[in-house]
Amino acid sequence: MLLRGLTTLVLFQLLGSMLSALLLPMLPGAILGMLLLFVFLMLRREVGEPLSVAANSLLRYLPLLLVPPAVGVMVYAAAIWADAWAIVGALVVSLLLSLLFCGWLMQRLIERQQQEKHDV
Amino acid sequence: MFDGQAALRALIDHPLFCFALTLAAYQLALALYERTRWVVMQPVLLAMLMVIPVLLLCDIDFARYRDGTQLLSLFLGPATVALAVPLYLNLRRIRQLFWPVVLTLAIGGLFATLAGVGLAWWFGADEMVLMTLLPKSVTSPIAMLVAEQIGGVAALAAVFVLITGVLGAIFGPPLLSWIGVRHPAARGMALGITAHAVGTAQALQESEETGAFSALAMSVLGAATAILLPLAVLFLR
Repeated sequence: MLLRGLTTLVLFQLLGSMLSALLLPMLPGAILGMLLLFVFLMLRREVGEPLSVAANSLLRYLPLLLVPPAVGVMVYAAAIWADAWAIVGALVVSLLLSLLFCGWLMQRLIERQQQEKHDV
Repeated sequence: MFDGQAALRALIDHPLFCFALTLAAYQLALALYERTRWVVMQPVLLAMLMVIPVLLLCDIDFARYRDGTQLLSLFLGPATVALAVPLYLNLRRIRQLFWPVVLTLAIGGLFATLAGVGLAWWFGADEMVLMTLLPKSVTSPIAMLVAEQIGGVAALAAVFVLITGVLGAIFGPPLLSWIGVRHPAARGMALGITAHAVGTAQALQESEETGAFSALAMSVLGAATAILLPLAVLFLR
């Protein structure tokens, strides 16, 4: 079950990599694979049991898979220190601004949609 | 008789040492996070902070560590492909609130991306850092892939994503309540767009609807960033 779903995921990743090499070199193969799988699911209109099992198990361990790339930060420690204030400032201020902006915008849009329904 | 030094060397030089170290550090980090349930104790961040000192102590450089953990990194691709499944499952929820969702994603996503880079540029960060900051609002596998594509640093992108996520999860909910955003869909979208996976985990604790919209915002914005950002950078150069 798990193995079958995993095979599907790997196949889509390989397909994406081929497509990336052939047509779209600026997009990573994994992203193209994700889009291909998404289109495939829309056409099939359901997520098969093996695929759902494999996707859930992989996504559960996603944080573990991200540890090795995160450790790579040790190579760039000096570059981060040099720009530390710019980075922290940009991250904190932009986070707060966009978080509040998105929440406010979405709430306004929902209210407007409900208002229109009410009027009709 | 017993050569402790040789035994230690055999342990450190073994091809599985880095793999074992990563597994152990992650499980320890996860246990700590589950025990405390404290949002700052992100497992990836904690595991990273445990692994790096050990590597420095054992005199292992990053190239060797990367080789040793290839078993894990290889699965990052299929895991990215697997994101299509939750995205598809959430598709039905968009239909009811179609325009609010699409408009907020487009305007809010653009705003979140540009605000970070604009501020960093204004504060005087160099191009490598700017290119790494661009994808900071999306979930780490996508941010890392995209950063690498446009000339940033994948590992650094992961750290930016993590910092953004943790801060968003801590300060997001109280601030949203403070400015009067109460609709679960709106709270979810705001958390998903700005604080991705960590924000989504936090949103799920508020309610299922908040979590679903957060996951939706995260995955759609992630896919859109992966496609549009490399193209935009390509045209602007």
